Amino acid sequence: MEYFKSGLKSVLGTPQEGSQPTGAETVERLVDRVQSSTLLDDRRDACRALKALSRKFRIEVGAQGMGALCQVLEMDRRDCEIVGYALDTLCNITAPESFEDEEHTSLSLSSVGNIGEQFTEIFIKQPDNVGLVLGFLEEYDFHVRWPAVKLLTSLLDNRPKEIQEIILASPMGVSKLMELLGDSREVIRNDALLLLVQLTKGNANIQKIVAFQSAFDRLFDVISEEGYSDGGIVVEDCLLLMLNLLRNNNSNQNFFKEGSYIQRLAPMFNLPPESDDTGWSAQKVSNILCMLQVVRTLVPPGNPAQLTMSSQKTMKACGLLETLCNILMASGVPADVLTETINTVAEVIRGNQGNQEYFANVMAPSNPPRPAVVVLLMSMVNEKQPFGLRCSVLYCFQCFLFKNEIGQSQLVQTLLPSSTEVVSLTTGQLLCGGLFSGEALSNWFSAVALSYALVENPAQKEQLLRVLLATSIGNQPISLMHQCTMLLLQQGNKVQSKLGLLMLLSTWLAHCPLAVKQFLSIPTSIPYLTAQAGSNEHDDNEKLVQGMCAFLMGICVTFNDDTVTTFSKEKLRQLVEKRLGLETFLDKISEVSKHELYSKAAKHPQFQAKQSSELLLDHEFCCLFKALEGMVIKAVTPKPQGDLVNGSSELSMSPSENSLLLQYKDLIREQDRKLQELTQIIDRLTAEKSTLQAQVDDLTSTISQLRDENMVLRAQTNTGLGQTTDGSTLGHKSWAKSHQLKTDSECKDSLTCKLEEQVTSGTMSDLEARLRSTTMDGTVSTSDTEKELRETQQRLAAAEEKLAELESADSELQKLRKDQEDLLELLTDQDTRLNQLKAQLRALGEKVDDDDEDLEEEGEGYEDEDSA
Amino acid sequence: MESQPNKQTGWCNGIAVDLYSGGVGKSCLLLQFTDKRFQPVHDLTIGVEFGARMITIDGKQIKLQIWDTAGQEAFRSITRSYYRGAAGALLVYDITRRETFNHLTTWLEDARQHSNSNMVIMLIGNKSDLESRREVKKEEGEAFAREHGLIFMETSAKTAANVEEAFINTAKEIYEKIQEGVFDINNEVCCTFLLNLAS
Ligand SMILES: Nc1nc2c(ncn2[C@@H]2O[C@H](COP(=O)(O)OP(=O)(O)O)[C@@H](O)[C@H]2O)c(=O)[nH]1
Ligand SMILES: [Mg+2]
Repeated sequence: MEYFKSGLKSVLGTPQEGSQPTGAETVERLVDRVQSSTLLDDRRDACRALKALSRKFRIEVGAQGMGALCQVLEMDRRDCEIVGYALDTLCNITAPESFEDEEHTSLSLSSVGNIGEQFTEIFIKQPDNVGLVLGFLEEYDFHVRWPAVKLLTSLLDNRPKEIQEIILASPMGVSKLMELLGDSREVIRNDALLLLVQLTKGNANIQKIVAFQSAFDRLFDVISEEGYSDGGIVVEDCLLLMLNLLRNNNSNQNFFKEGSYIQRLAPMFNLPPESDDTGWSAQKVSNILCMLQVVRTLVPPGNPAQLTMSSQKTMKACGLLETLCNILMASGVPADVLTETINTVAEVIRGNQGNQEYFANVMAPSNPPRPAVVVLLMSMVNEKQPFGLRCSVLYCFQCFLFKNEIGQSQLVQTLLPSSTEVVSLTTGQLLCGGLFSGEALSNWFSAVALSYALVENPAQKEQLLRVLLATSIGNQPISLMHQCTMLLLQQGNKVQSKLGLLMLLSTWLAHCPLAVKQFLSIPTSIPYLTAQAGSNEHDDNEKLVQGMCAFLMGICVTFNDDTVTTFSKEKLRQLVEKRLGLETFLDKISEVSKHELYSKAAKHPQFQAKQSSELLLDHEFCCLFKALEGMVIKAVTPKPQGDLVNGSSELSMSPSENSLLLQYKDLIREQDRKLQELTQIIDRLTAEKSTLQAQVDDLTSTISQLRDENMVLRAQTNTGLGQTTDGSTLGHKSWAKSHQLKTDSECKDSLTCKLEEQVTSGTMSDLEARLRSTTMDGTVSTSDTEKELRETQQRLAAAEEKLAELESADSELQKLRKDQEDLLELLTDQDTRLNQLKAQLRALGEKVDDDDEDLEEEGEGYEDEDSA
Repeated sequence: MESQPNKQTGWCNGIAVDLYSGGVGKSCLLLQFTDKRFQPVHDLTIGVEFGARMITIDGKQIKLQIWDTAGQEAFRSITRSYYRGAAGALLVYDITRRETFNHLTTWLEDARQHSNSNMVIMLIGNKSDLESRREVKKEEGEAFAREHGLIFMETSAKTAANVEEAFINTAKEIYEKIQEGVFDINNEVCCTFLLNLAS
């Protein structure tokens, strides 16, 4: 509200301050001239003056002059000069940012941010206005085209969705914007680029049309003209536009690939010869980072496999992959560029056998020459390397082994005893070294990297069991599995290391009974897990460790082939039940997916961590967890009903299961007894009923017989007069008898009815209810599932509620906005009234403030300022 | 802009396969042509989807770029943005639904109004495998094509019958126009089709 009061003050002018006209008054008069002067020259001058005022008195010009300016665009469109002024003025008042010299005395800062937006909203209320501006893009005159571009950019900044729709709906709207890229005047071309960047944000249809209109050709032309990565910020803008066109837009990605544009990406990554120390300016780093993003948008892990595959293939065929690998191995590359290059190579090879094989054979120019993979892993387990870089190496390694059985087996191979003495450093050795490192992060990286060799590869899980490590000279070598378990015990409170090892072990043991067997044969393994899972620390990360230990135990139950008798499936189940309690155990498992980092890791294969402490869970592990959680829960949960049905032995049950079973049996027996009782009652009642029914029938037939008799008698009475007395007496008697019988029968009838009723309604429904409750007891177990369902529904409902709240907040906002507008309108009205009144007063010879005389001069003054 | 040569790649913007509001089989035709497979349940096309394939005409490799458009009225203004750059269009109706055939005139007017006047238009009666449910006689399609100067063919995206021919014949026609210099396109090697649909 304060905004409008102050606006009002400035529109009306602060009262009685000498004879100086306020800005508002000047604006008012200029607007009046633009609107009503019949001379173009005069209108043009006034418009120029308005432009000059439109920064300092932005609100006043916007509030009073919007209509006049739109009128100029419409009526004076043939005069480039005045149109130029009008467009410039509109640019200023709709600018998303505020100006330094802007005067908004008592305005709160927060409302200042909205001024541009509010004027944009007013401007586009009339969608034709946007059409007019689009039309001016076709005008070659610099003073028209340029501000038209800038105005559209501001409008898009402020109201992207609305403007996008208007442009999409206006005939050839997008084409007009695309034409601008061909403008030989660099300023226009560059600003048009920025405009297109805004225009294409988040609108797939516009992105496709822009691509259809040869956007990629034009962008590559500009990029090469500007000198590729050595070019200025224009190159970056081109790449930003390219990114907009490609991100999440499969149709455009396909078009990019089919149009052979991938081939045109390769030369962008050509690095200067190493002697050249013009090297790496900040702009060049930005350009290269953007180019790497472009490559990555073509092959994101979430894309349809077919599309990614064929793009990856092209990237290798055209030498792009090679160029990228060269950057990896080059010296003097800034760390952030190197990191992003590694991430890019990762996605270019991910899941593509040919590319993975190529990558495996890339050699680093080290002495002695080593495979690039080895050199990268050396960085990963080196604590002196930047954190981001180390993460990217692990990501690259993950992608390298993703769906790569050969690569997985080669890695495991490097750890197996072999006949040939291997002298050089191998990937396997590096990772084992990392496992034993004193640095928690190295442990984590190495454990996770090793687990990638096992993902969905049962053969390698078994192979890895054969790996033996010599700990110290003279000691028997012990298995890698045993080592891992021992390491786990030694980690104390190093959460990160423990989690790494637990993820490795989970991946290893899942779906591999042989591995489970080896693990269970290690004496310390299960006691450790039981102790951890049973501990009660409340720290989030500790809870995660407990959950992972419970999960690993669950895996031991699930994939247990009962070969280790001390920890057979059943014995482990009992252990869980006795030592931890089933409920607690399941709660612990659910802690894993409740951890805040879980959903992040589950969502995207790349590590999103900003710092080491956020690196706890890995994507591949989360996938495994998601797939196995249900299975594990089922495996540790006893299922008495299933056993009954199968008639399988009750001997194999735990005591608690047994007692539960007994309880159930008792319950069922009890229900059975009740059922029989009730059936007997029904039988009895049914029998009674049918007896009564028979009696009723009997009586009914007697009655009708008597009735007949009666009729005969009456007839006799009527005809045989002589025998009246006797006859009538007889008749009477017979009637009385019949009457009595009738009553009798009626009474019995109603009794029958009552009984019937009782049998059908009362007793039956009671029976039914009892039957129902019997059935219900039998189905208790399904109610758990139902409960879960209900909980989920509740959560959904809560979410919907929140949404509704947000929506209502939004509509309130809209209402407030509308109120503001109304007020603004009111203001303008009052203003006009005031003017009229003043004019009337003047006409009546009354002296009104004399500012008006001075105004002319003031206006001139501003114009001078403008031309200066 | 109109079918301008693309100096860099030598692509020409050429054919539009035109299928209209939902369900006559545009997307299936495109998929059959580019991937040689039929997918019975196809997502509704939103806006426009891109597809491409290399073919050989006169010993020359030509890359066809095809833009499969959504038929719904709501996407009309989007679809129009593509007409101008297209050298050809396939106008598709469904032989088992007469209303799609009746809609052709409207579509044709719209296309002619917004496209290059030399745009090659082929009329396609799709779903020829569903003979038992046919509502539009082949002769009717032929007559309509004759009357409006279009090429005509019946196809089945399901059995692939005539699908190759439909696209390739249209491409040939465009290619001839290029040779004659009707299209201002440097001789090499690409055509943009637009798929439109009548429903
Ligand atoms: N029997 C048969 N069905 C088809 C044929 N072409 C498409 N269809 C079916 O028609 C429906 C619509 O196809 P679609 O390609 O999505 O139509 P669009 O809206 O024109 O793109 C789908 O259910 C297809 O399976 C065809 O040649 N024969
Ligand atoms: Mg479709």
